[in-house]
Amino acid sequence: MIRIAAVGDLHYGEGSKEILRPSLEHLQDRADLLLLAGDLTRCGGPEEVKILADELRGLPVPVLAVLGNHDYHADREEEVRRVLEDAGVRVLEGEAAAIDVDGVRVGIAGTKGFGGGFRGAHGSDFGEPEMKAFVAHTKMLSDRLERALAGLDADLRIALLHYSPIEATLEGERLEIYPFLGSYLLAEAVDNAGADLVLHGHAHHGAEKGRTPAGIPVRNVAQPVIRHAYNVYTLDASRQTLQAAAGGIS
Amino acid sequence: MSEPRPDYLPEAIREKLIHDPRVAEQDLRVEVRAHRVMLGGNVSSPQLKQRITEVAKELLPDYEVVNETTVVPAAEPDGEEPVS
Repeated sequence: MIRIAAVGDLHYGEGSKEILRPSLEHLQDRADLLLLAGDLTRCGGPEEVKILADELRGLPVPVLAVLGNHDYHADREEEVRRVLEDAGVRVLEGEAAAIDVDGVRVGIAGTKGFGGGFRGAHGSDFGEPEMKAFVAHTKMLSDRLERALAGLDADLRIALLHYSPIEATLEGERLEIYPFLGSYLLAEAVDNAGADLVLHGHAHHGAEKGRTPAGIPVRNVAQPVIRHAYNVYTLDASRQTLQAAAGGIS
Repeated sequence: MSEPRPDYLPEAIREKLIHDPRVAEQDLRVEVRAHRVMLGGNVSSPQLKQRITEVAKELLPDYEVVNETTVVPAAEPDGEEPVS
């Protein structure tokens, strides 16, 4: 059984010191990996993420992250990324990593993702250049996610996002802002490439649980939603292997 | 920029709370009734809750600020969820 600890939307900044660290003391006993679903900072400042990075440094389990929209606000996302990586956190953007956990190869593909909306009500890259750029950004990141997931050679595959791929985990948010909270293109990418679990944040008033149209479990781990330092999800690698074999035969 | 009309005041406050780097919160609920500003939503720390009150009072010194935001707990989870 592989244990995945996950949280997003920590929004570290002034006054955030030690919010997370006390709850990470027993992380090794509870999880094999820690995944961070973006919005690690309040305004995207390297000095903000440094506070979090110092709490994550030296953790006994691998830590992987994607950035969120707040982490881009200061236009210093490369510095934010470097501060995290200097603390041993692997940051993914259209990229994938595979971690060996007791002989099980766990693959994680990550992207911030972006908005646009959901099936039947998605924006199109049509009209003004601003609208084309908005939707093109989502398409580009979704394509990269699909390629990163499909290219993973792993026993278990996880998609780590900031924006939501589905509407179900947005329930509780105002309908008017759904296009700014996620895009079905992310779900389509995951369903095309296949995965065992999708994690995202961003929707602070949303719901925790949902599934993609193909049935892949989705969890919104925004900290205001899970209301803990992290949640732990377990995946059975042997069961996944059997399912894949049965799928192959049929 | 002119002073916002009363109908638009809540949105002006919300914008201020989003863009002030001491707060930078996009998910706060803002209501204005008479000379009282009521703020709700989730925040990550007691310090941030205090900053929100300070920023709102700076913007509207003649208004009473009622900060009903909730500090989200960040303890260890109780258990784990098997998803497969």
